[in-house]
Amino acid sequence: MKRIILCLAAMMLVASSAFALDLEYFQVYTPKDGMTADEIMQIEYFVKYTKFARDAYLEGKAYFVDKSGSVREKETLRERITLGRKSDDIAYKDLVMFTSPQVKGLATLTWTYMNPKRQQDSWLWIPSLKKIRKISAANADDSFLGSDFTVEDILTRKFEDETYAMVGSENFKGYTCEFDKKTYFQDTPCFVIECKPVRSPWYYSKRILWVDKKTGGGIYEEMYDSLGRKFKYIFKDYEIYKVDGKDYPAQVLLEGKDLRTGHRTTIINTVIKFEVGLSEDLFTQRALMQSRW
Amino acid sequence: MKKFCLVLLLCLTTSLAFADDRFQFNGYIKNEIGLRTKEQSYLQKNKNIFELAAQYKLMEDELVLFGKAKYFYDFAYTKDKLDKAGHYMQHIQRTEWLRDLYLDYNKGPWFLRLGKQQVAWGQSDGIAILDRVNPFDLREYWQPDFVDLRIPLWMANINYAPKLNSNLQLLFIPDFEESQAAPPGSPFTFRSYTLFDNFMKSSAASFDINMRPPAKQFEHATWGLQWSDRIGDMDYTLNFLYGPYYTARNTTRFIPPPIVLPAGKFIVDRAFKLWRVYGGSFNRSFTNPGPMQGITLRGDFAWYNDEPTYFGDPNAGSSKGIVRWNNIFWLLGVDKYVITKWLVSFQYAQYIMEHKLATNNTFPAYQQVPLNSYTYGAQDRLENIFSLKISTNFMNDRLKPEVLWSFTDDNQGKVSPKLTYEIQDNLLFTLGWHYFYGNETDSNGQFRRQNQVFTQLKYSF
Repeated sequence: MKRIILCLAAMMLVASSAFALDLEYFQVYTPKDGMTADEIMQIEYFVKYTKFARDAYLEGKAYFVDKSGSVREKETLRERITLGRKSDDIAYKDLVMFTSPQVKGLATLTWTYMNPKRQQDSWLWIPSLKKIRKISAANADDSFLGSDFTVEDILTRKFEDETYAMVGSENFKGYTCEFDKKTYFQDTPCFVIECKPVRSPWYYSKRILWVDKKTGGGIYEEMYDSLGRKFKYIFKDYEIYKVDGKDYPAQVLLEGKDLRTGHRTTIINTVIKFEVGLSEDLFTQRALMQSRW
Repeated sequence: MKKFCLVLLLCLTTSLAFADDRFQFNGYIKNEIGLRTKEQSYLQKNKNIFELAAQYKLMEDELVLFGKAKYFYDFAYTKDKLDKAGHYMQHIQRTEWLRDLYLDYNKGPWFLRLGKQQVAWGQSDGIAILDRVNPFDLREYWQPDFVDLRIPLWMANINYAPKLNSNLQLLFIPDFEESQAAPPGSPFTFRSYTLFDNFMKSSAASFDINMRPPAKQFEHATWGLQWSDRIGDMDYTLNFLYGPYYTARNTTRFIPPPIVLPAGKFIVDRAFKLWRVYGGSFNRSFTNPGPMQGITLRGDFAWYNDEPTYFGDPNAGSSKGIVRWNNIFWLLGVDKYVITKWLVSFQYAQYIMEHKLATNNTFPAYQQVPLNSYTYGAQDRLENIFSLKISTNFMNDRLKPEVLWSFTDDNQGKVSPKLTYEIQDNLLFTLGWHYFYGNETDSNGQFRRQNQVFTQLKYSF
């Protein structure tokens, strides 16, 4: 009997490992009790980069609030096409366009590759030059467009960039958003996972991440420096969008705060659409060149 | 001005009439102040600029009408110091107020942009190698943004994408505009213009200046062709341009008086010679792990066929004629982020002139030296050009320092540090300095007495 249980356990482990290592694009995955930290994090990344949807369209506003309370606002339009194409290694392509007056027209096209060691390719449409410039990949620890998120927080951090350990399972105490003063995810069942960067030294020594058991989305994380001091937190609110009978979890609000400077960034996705039938032709240099602004 | 008001009124009326998703507009009001810091300090610029752009989607994204109008007035030219150049520098000239007016048609592999527009080719930053489709407005030298430097032209811009990530672009440009330069008496007047102006003023002879723009014929239109594609991780283009050279080349003849009197006549023909540009560009970012990871390499190459080039006596600062040479201009640029958010961008370019003397045997060799058209100084037949730009940001992108140093192997160049601060949403303040150094016969060195502290205050809406 003991042998059978061991055998079953081993089979389950093998099955779950295979599952964890081979998540198929355009499927919806949710974490389950009993999964390893690695498996849960694979799902978390899958949700983060909306690999369940063939395409996504987002209109958003970002609010930059400094310590004194001064607020700056930027508006963006973001389109993503998920390809998961092995022939040319393309995982997905992103197009981010700024729509607020001061930077209207500024647009970035980014291709992300399936090979986890490969950096992204990025092209920038610069209205003041009326020209496309190929740009070097920004350093992963650089601020993302001046926000309190880093480039890797939003765009580039991959499953392979960290090692994971399960801290436990608990009901999240809730987060009161500084932007709208609402409390989110109170008593929501979560996995708590410790994520340590492979790169060392790096700008953080670990992240403690709360992953919603229902959606697989990382809803809250605390970042610690090399001395073990908490220096930043990030909160993400998700909503479920019903598309073709599937439940797509989408980030509707992100809030990050740098505890060293007191600066806070809140991003609100005001319009979210999935499976709108975006053509890959939109994610080319020619499409950037057509910018009128 | 009347036309500008009309366009503004039209835009505003349209915005009220079509206050929906199909109509969008954007614009800015900007003040630019430039103060000379070398020797006798004076206000070189106090320019107020208004720009308004609007688009209307006639059929979703398939058919879109776009227009952009601009007006400026420079108060510095009301002062005694600069009033002589005021007629040409103080406000918008002729049809310059209309920056863009075109219709976009986008369907399947086809993309057509028909109307007044600008087209930018090449990968170089701040150096026009392949970027020769439009003429340039150099009244403030190469200091403004390139979007303001290019003079838009009426053209048909026809694009066809036979496959993903590739594009064939055909340009047919029946329009012609001359590249602009500052008139004598402006802060950034080219030395060659000043020398010629002085010559005219000191001469007892009269001057008959004839503009000879290209004939309005099909064969004198400008044609452009660009093929863009991707091989592996590298983007490349192949380019061809044929048309009139946008900068006039002067040929001066002296007609002596019929009897011996202290005067005669100089006939100056300002002609725009036909030339061709054959070239290509590339860019590649190294994305795979290794020592090159994070580096972007980019480059331009151009072979200028029949480029009209002045020759003459650089010591006297006088041109003796024009030769049509085949010259080469190429550039290699490297960009990389270092230490988190510091972007370092380095460019190296070479301008290689054809190595032969002008074929005109009526002048001695010392009067057959190729000339720098900006200064009438000697033009090196091999010019090495460098530029280094370092930029970063602080305070969550609110404060952006940048320094650009461009120089050549002749110990001449320009250093331009600047600091941009976002005061609040849509309100930007810039403080900067242009420092020129070198010999007066060099492109940058000629402005070594025009070092300038400048400010810009821009409100966007």
